[in-house]
Amino acid sequence: MGGSRIVVGYTADDSGADALALATRLASASEALLDVVMVLPSEARNSVVPADAGYERHLKERSRTWLAEASASLGTDVAQSLHVRYAESFAEGLIAAAHEFGALLIVVGAARGGVLGRSRIGSVAGELLHSSDVPVALAPAGSREVPAAQGVSRITAAIGTRPGADALLEASVALSRATHAPLRLLSLVSIDLPAGMDEGLAELTSTVHADEVLLAARRALPAAVETAAEVAEGPTIEDAVRGLDWHDGEIVLVGSSRLATPHHLFLGSTAAKMLRELPVPMIVVPRTAAPVATT
Amino acid sequence: MTHLPESAAPLTEAMRAVDGSEHGISKKGLSAGSVGLIGAIVIGISCIAPAYTLTAALGPTVSEVGVQVPAIILVGFIPMLLVAFGYRELNRRMPDSGTSFTWATRAFGPWVGWLAGWGLVAATILVLSNLAGIAVDFLFLLISQIVGDPAIADLATNPFINVVVCLMFMLGATWISYRDMRTTQKLQYWLVGFQVAVLVIFSVAALIEVANGSAFDATAIELSWFNPFAVESFSAFAAGLSLSIFIFWGWDVTLTMNEETKGSEKTPGRAATITVVTIVVLYLLIAVALIAYAGVGTGEFGLGNPDIQDNVFFHLAGPILGPLAALVSLAVLTSSASSLQSTFVSPARTLLAMGHYGALPEKFAKVSPRFFTPGYATIVSAVVASVFYAVMRFLSENVLWDTITALGMMICFYYGITAFACVWFFRSVWFRSVRNVFFTLLFPLIGGVILAVLFFTTLVDSMDPDYGSGSSVFGLGLVFVLGMVVLLSGVAIMLWQWWKRPAFFRGETLSRAVADD
Repeated sequence: MGGSRIVVGYTADDSGADALALATRLASASEALLDVVMVLPSEARNSVVPADAGYERHLKERSRTWLAEASASLGTDVAQSLHVRYAESFAEGLIAAAHEFGALLIVVGAARGGVLGRSRIGSVAGELLHSSDVPVALAPAGSREVPAAQGVSRITAAIGTRPGADALLEASVALSRATHAPLRLLSLVSIDLPAGMDEGLAELTSTVHADEVLLAARRALPAAVETAAEVAEGPTIEDAVRGLDWHDGEIVLVGSSRLATPHHLFLGSTAAKMLRELPVPMIVVPRTAAPVATT
Repeated sequence: MTHLPESAAPLTEAMRAVDGSEHGISKKGLSAGSVGLIGAIVIGISCIAPAYTLTAALGPTVSEVGVQVPAIILVGFIPMLLVAFGYRELNRRMPDSGTSFTWATRAFGPWVGWLAGWGLVAATILVLSNLAGIAVDFLFLLISQIVGDPAIADLATNPFINVVVCLMFMLGATWISYRDMRTTQKLQYWLVGFQVAVLVIFSVAALIEVANGSAFDATAIELSWFNPFAVESFSAFAAGLSLSIFIFWGWDVTLTMNEETKGSEKTPGRAATITVVTIVVLYLLIAVALIAYAGVGTGEFGLGNPDIQDNVFFHLAGPILGPLAALVSLAVLTSSASSLQSTFVSPARTLLAMGHYGALPEKFAKVSPRFFTPGYATIVSAVVASVFYAVMRFLSENVLWDTITALGMMICFYYGITAFACVWFFRSVWFRSVRNVFFTLLFPLIGGVILAVLFFTTLVDSMDPDYGSGSSVFGLGLVFVLGMVVLLSGVAIMLWQWWKRPAFFRGETLSRAVADD
């Protein structure tokens, strides 16, 4: 991702600090340019409260101060530019900014009322996951405590068995190259079959099948990529995730759900379960050709 | 706001780096895109909330001027329009979220500015509590109409139930304002359209009843209703006017939305004109219809009956519309609910500006990093309005009525100061053009003088214990006591802030200025 750009959706609170810290870490590991974006609510379609030029100016000044403070805290090691944007929603503004800058990744804080330090998706991240055609990184609560010097020590791609893995694999390889981190391919299997489960789930839970998927995935990868493959098992997806070892500097990539329209993200149930358990940041990749794949 | 707090000074270098390109931001630095003609009209009508204002103000106005309500509505619009012109000039020159506070400080210095800000905050907090009070009445009425049990509507008169429900309303409105939750444009169009349609149906139904001879106290419509000189005394005229100032309050937003409205340059003026014509026609229609139907006597449904005056639609909807009366309840309820949100914005933004310039503790200047609203100021406004309502509800049975009258007085106070601030701020450019003569000198000056006269007349008259609803404290009219308590506590807090934060009062944070071109 050298020379590429990362958009970070910033708010002047803990969630924004999480996003900024993760984005900084990713940007310095991949020598990307950081675009710190604050999205202010657009008054254009506000139908109840009359727009007030004075207040809008105040907000803009305030946001600039916030951005400047955030920038000052980052130091000069990371190439960065600061932006104030107007949009009807935070997600919409970030996606527009990512398109404008040709960014490969949008980073937001995942946590809003997360439990016990683990991520649960807040409304902003949720909206973004439903509408973004750019990969989205969710910074779990507490990411702000991780120093940028931690870098990225490993990339894990959680491979499902459905269409969508191609884009995910390409994105994972690209990120692994950009950050010079080894790639681990992972297949999650829950072996405790609940009664009355459907056919699709049965397919997913087959360990043999999982091995085949991993094998196929490795075969599809360029030979130069350093990869390990692992099948994680457990009575539930959550247990399977918990049973794995995680580096402090690890980043997990998952594909978006099959329910998503092509090019758009949607977090599937497996990914959502993973997110609850993951101690490390997660990047959700749209299921078909994504910008990451083009580099 | 044009001035940054000093703490931000070391960051200016980095701040210059923020978005030099101004991409996606219009040249005035506002949000991209804008409100269209229909949108501006809808916001205007929704801010005025005609269903709410009339049910609250019609009774008190009748008690002052009798059948001449239509005349007072027509005349009351004049000072409002004149001051709104001055407001627009100031807003164009110094857009600032502190509006009256900032402008008066610029023109007359920190002391007058502080009091103007206080007047605005006090007026909006008074109206917040009144809005919530009306909403409570109509909520119970609506439930009783739907269930078909009149006893439920009476629950609203129990002060404990009333206060608890009212506080819940306030909590909801605070939540919505704090999080800046927005109804969709479409829904807002429907709500406003519904409100206007119901008011028209209500009036037409009343007129039909009159024609059928089944009206409560059919009163022949006369041209003299529209003659302001037919009002008995000047003090009645003044009291009526200050009430009618209240019914047009909020209309000025359509004038100041000018920078944001899209389309041709004529859009803002057109939106303001269409809004006000709609409102005036609606007001006249309802006033004439209800007076014709119920008369101004003191009978059961007479508009002169003190028992129904603080909320006339509440009492008249049933007799006039029968089974359809629930529509009126719904219209007033939605009208006050959406007005509650837009009303919350103005005290919060003014308090924010006062905190920002050091006229109040810095906490007031806090902006929520997630919702971009003046969070602290919003919560303080809500708490004060709730406490005020609760105290008043137990103090006076006619709380709604008396707050409306006191409110008219407070509006005259801060609007008057704003009008004079406009005249004084532009003093060096009065005669630069014919336009300036009218818009920076004559219009705001005349408007300001009218409001000042109204303010002092109401103040003096309201000392009479029989004034307004007839509630009194220590032998003085409650309206007078209310107005004085509000103003004097403002002075007391101002002196306290002067002692705590002298910088603002020395003019160090917001200096006096005069327009020079």
